[in-house]
Amino acid sequence: MPKPRMVLRQYDGDWEPAEMPENIALDPTAYLHSVESFGLCRGVFDPAVSVGRGSQVNYGTAFDVGQQGRILIGNYVLLTAVMFQCDASITVGDYTMISWSAVIMDTYRWPRNFEERAKELTQLTERFERRPAVVVPAQPVVIGENVWIGFEAVILPGVTIGNDSIVGARSVVATNVPPGVVVAGNPARVVKSLRRKDQK
Amino acid sequence: MEVKDGRYAHGDAPPNVVLDTGTLIRGPRAFARFKSTRTLALVVGKNCTLDGVHFALNPDARLTIGDDCAFSGSLILVEAEITIGNRVVIGWNAVLSDSDFHPIDPDERRLDAIACSTLPEGPRRHYASKPVVIGDDVFVGHNATVLKGVTIGAGAFIEPGAMVTRDIPPGARVLGNPAIVVTEA
Repeated sequence: MPKPRMVLRQYDGDWEPAEMPENIALDPTAYLHSVESFGLCRGVFDPAVSVGRGSQVNYGTAFDVGQQGRILIGNYVLLTAVMFQCDASITVGDYTMISWSAVIMDTYRWPRNFEERAKELTQLTERFERRPAVVVPAQPVVIGENVWIGFEAVILPGVTIGNDSIVGARSVVATNVPPGVVVAGNPARVVKSLRRKDQK
Repeated sequence: MEVKDGRYAHGDAPPNVVLDTGTLIRGPRAFARFKSTRTLALVVGKNCTLDGVHFALNPDARLTIGDDCAFSGSLILVEAEITIGNRVVIGWNAVLSDSDFHPIDPDERRLDAIACSTLPEGPRRHYASKPVVIGDDVFVGHNATVLKGVTIGAGAFIEPGAMVTRDIPPGARVLGNPAIVVTEA
């Protein structure tokens, strides 16, 4: 595997230029705006994050990867200020475009039960990292090929988005999205099909 | 071009920007994505206060803003034309856009993704746009979104977080994603 190309570029408001973790597989043709994107990457897999041919990781993208997390970004993918929160697996297919401030998460990080959550919170100061000790089961997120996700959309854990689909801006996607449709709203619902009559 | 005495607080505004008397634009990133080459790309009327607004204008774009407007921290994406009336208020983080910026059709979108990539494998195509018109005395709340081709009638009240995808009649109050009219004029 080729050694990741490290591109460190300062930009306005780059507060914490950091070192690139070694287990990031960045294709030599991929563009990375700042290594700051990997400031929250704690994954142990190799690679914890892989970015394919011709893809762009633009300003403000954050890969918040837990220890057992793995994010696979395909070829020709366009990411701008996307927030990934991953404890299991997030896959982004080829030709997919994700607009600014979209959130893609496969875990909530905190227990659903409020009593368990309260227990974690009261013990938080005892730990150096100040993170909850329980591992909440994560549900992998799969984003297909040629998907377009609008700005500030939220993709919740366990969601699969089919090939060629579009997620409208500022939507919240809580259920699976079939291939070749437009979904929009909060919660997101199918508003249109993109398949032509002769296609199935 | 007639010189008017509105002011940009962080140096000189681009030459194709006209700010009328009493107008003030603040925010160091206001023109960071201002690419318009039209003679009159941004025309702002009298006594407007535009704080932290991003004017993201593409090469052919024109944005016209009336008198006595107050915008804070909004993002205005223009591909062709957006017109905003008098006495309009726009809240933080609101987004106005007159284009989708990428094709809807799956096959064209795949070509567009290749054109947008770092590899020189295809030219970028022109994307479609439909003008956005915002009437006089409109209120656009925080985090609201106005999408392409929308005309908002005079005096309409767009509640915070609303996603406006269709024309809004004058004086209506709209709410939700997608936005629906909850109170008629």
